[in-house]
Amino acid sequence: MNSAFEFHGVRAGYRERPVLEDISLKAGAGEMLALLGPNGAGKSTLFRVLSGLIRPVAGRVMLCGAEVQRLGAARRARLLAVVPQELKMPPAFTVGEMVAMGRVTLLSPWQRPSEEDCKVIERALVYADVNELCDRPFDLLSGGEKQRVLIAMALAQEPQVILMDEPTTHLDPNHSLEIMQIVERLNRERGLTVFMISHDLNLAAEFCRRLVLLDHGRIAADGTPSEVLREETLHKVYHCQMRVQSDPGTGLPFVRPDARHAAGLPGAGGAESGRAIHVIAGGGSGAEVLRRLAFNNYAGVTCGVLNERDTDAQVCEALGIRAALEKPFSPVGHQAFRKAEEMAAMAKTVIVCEVPFGPGNVINLKLAEDALKRGARVLVNNANLQARDYSADQQAVIRIMEMIEQGAEAWNSLHDMMRLIAR
Amino acid sequence: MNPSINNSGAARGRRAVYVWLLAALAPVVFFLCAFVGAAPLAFGEWSTPQGQAILSLRLSRIICGFMAGAGLACSGVVLQALLRNPLADPYVLGISSGAALGAAAAIMAGAAGVYLLPLCAFAGAAAVLALVLLLARQGGVTNVYSLLLSGIIVGSICASILMLVISIAPIEGWHGITWWMLGNLQVTSLALLAFASALITAGFAGIWLMARKLNALTLGREMAHYLGVRSGPAILWAVVLATISTAAAVAMTGLIGFVGLIIPHLARLVFGPDHRVLVPASALAGGLFLVICDTFARTIMAPVEIPVGVITALIGGPFFLFLLRRRPGGWFS
Repeated sequence: MNSAFEFHGVRAGYRERPVLEDISLKAGAGEMLALLGPNGAGKSTLFRVLSGLIRPVAGRVMLCGAEVQRLGAARRARLLAVVPQELKMPPAFTVGEMVAMGRVTLLSPWQRPSEEDCKVIERALVYADVNELCDRPFDLLSGGEKQRVLIAMALAQEPQVILMDEPTTHLDPNHSLEIMQIVERLNRERGLTVFMISHDLNLAAEFCRRLVLLDHGRIAADGTPSEVLREETLHKVYHCQMRVQSDPGTGLPFVRPDARHAAGLPGAGGAESGRAIHVIAGGGSGAEVLRRLAFNNYAGVTCGVLNERDTDAQVCEALGIRAALEKPFSPVGHQAFRKAEEMAAMAKTVIVCEVPFGPGNVINLKLAEDALKRGARVLVNNANLQARDYSADQQAVIRIMEMIEQGAEAWNSLHDMMRLIAR
Repeated sequence: MNPSINNSGAARGRRAVYVWLLAALAPVVFFLCAFVGAAPLAFGEWSTPQGQAILSLRLSRIICGFMAGAGLACSGVVLQALLRNPLADPYVLGISSGAALGAAAAIMAGAAGVYLLPLCAFAGAAAVLALVLLLARQGGVTNVYSLLLSGIIVGSICASILMLVISIAPIEGWHGITWWMLGNLQVTSLALLAFASALITAGFAGIWLMARKLNALTLGREMAHYLGVRSGPAILWAVVLATISTAAAVAMTGLIGFVGLIIPHLARLVFGPDHRVLVPASALAGGLFLVICDTFARTIMAPVEIPVGVITALIGGPFFLFLLRRRPGGWFS
């Protein structure tokens, strides 16, 4: 395979501030690859070096077999086109005039475009699906249309390599998919080498067979999506917990940042640091409590036993809180209770919400009683106790009152509870 | 085939026609302006020796005005394209004042030769431009607003130095230069007119040849680079050509503001952003505007002549304020 571009030990940057260090990278003609990395990792600088805008301090950058810095501007523009993220302050050119500018170096000052030029321009317009917009002023177009025009401009250059700086950043899902499909078609049908910066890891994984992950100006990973998108790698580069799952439909890795485990936030640490909290809830009584805990970055929160499809169970799932679950509408069984016991045993604090207790779930109170016995904090809601106790012989009322006597802290509003737990 | 691809669309065709109309209008305006003036000149009188003297005086003045207006407007087109801001023009950026100071220094030093005067004006203009660019640069980035601001301030300083030079100069006839500072199209030397006109024509031709590159540069320096334009040299060339045009115009006529500001702006509204049309359209419109303004200057209070800079400023000043109020960059964003 011919190489489209190569970096050999490239170091580059701006005055007094090196951005790229020791970059070596090679892409074959016809590859479609994405450049990933957190803000400030050097992605744009890498593009600027590859497009000849910045001269590398050390190392060599080759484009289609020739050194970029030695290429003439016009020749370089025939090999490589750049689609910028957006065009700031665009003047009042029409779409047709803009796209024709892709051939600026090939046209003499006054001459009209030749038949050949017109064909190329028309093809570019059609490929990027902006043919109907030809006479419209560029600045009145929507974000997706503008992006397509910029792609058409790049295509009018008839390049071998096309660089795209976050082509879908400002677009809604539908339009970004549209753009990616255009790009994919160009890659497939015209053998164009596509190199794009993306912050959307999943979109990149879906459309690019190769991902390059940049971190602090160095290449942190380079390979197929499943090779690059690994939890440990992403954690190291993005400094936040990412969950990587395999998409059941495509088999591709699917990445989701996990806000609850964001590093360095107050309340983080979880069970290891002994700050874990177990919540006894049910029937939606715990939804607000769980949400507050999650949004205040309390880590190591667990919940249960809950019935599946219970409101609280759904909240747990949405917030990524671990929960011990029993089948819907069934009394708490042995297995689920064992699981909840394990969770509660780790907890420094157990919170009992305003749960209606009945014969099926009154067993959950044992979790709190055990916690109290081993010296953990128990925060128990004592509002409307009588009214929500459906267990035999008012068991729940009695047991809760006992717990309060033995040192459990009572609360009857969310505000109280949050104040107690913060103490 | 999509008809608008090769730029022969209806709108563009119409714009090209406007340019030809403007070109055809020029001789008519020249003719009319030549017969208007303080001294009455009937149509039959042009063949008399006296009539011919008046006519040649007026014609040289008209050519001077046309060339100066064209040069300033071309310069304005280039600066607005490069700075991507409609408030840029040679006067606002201080280039004109720098040229005037350079020219005045040349006159003071007794070096007011036909060739030396425009060259000194160019040196002054280039020095001021470099200073303004340097002042506006902060941390490697040139902010357009600080550029305009430092341009205005450096320009005012130059104008003040010029005033100082004039007020302490002992030479007879220096009072004339005060007048020159407000702009005066009276031709003092036909050789100077010829040389300055040649410079302006060359500047215009060079700028027009760069039209496609200027188009690309209005998309920003980086984008122009991606499109295959050597941005650095292109910008340098364009600035040099704009400065030459301004310096030649100033050496010939003194300080005339606002032509370089309003003409490119209006031309852009009428003829669109394509510099292949915009450059000749602005040159023609600028030239005609100045010739007409000068005719007013000569005749409104005849036999007293008002400096033409007063007329252009009276029209241009309110227009400038209007632009500022209307949010800068109405057609650029």
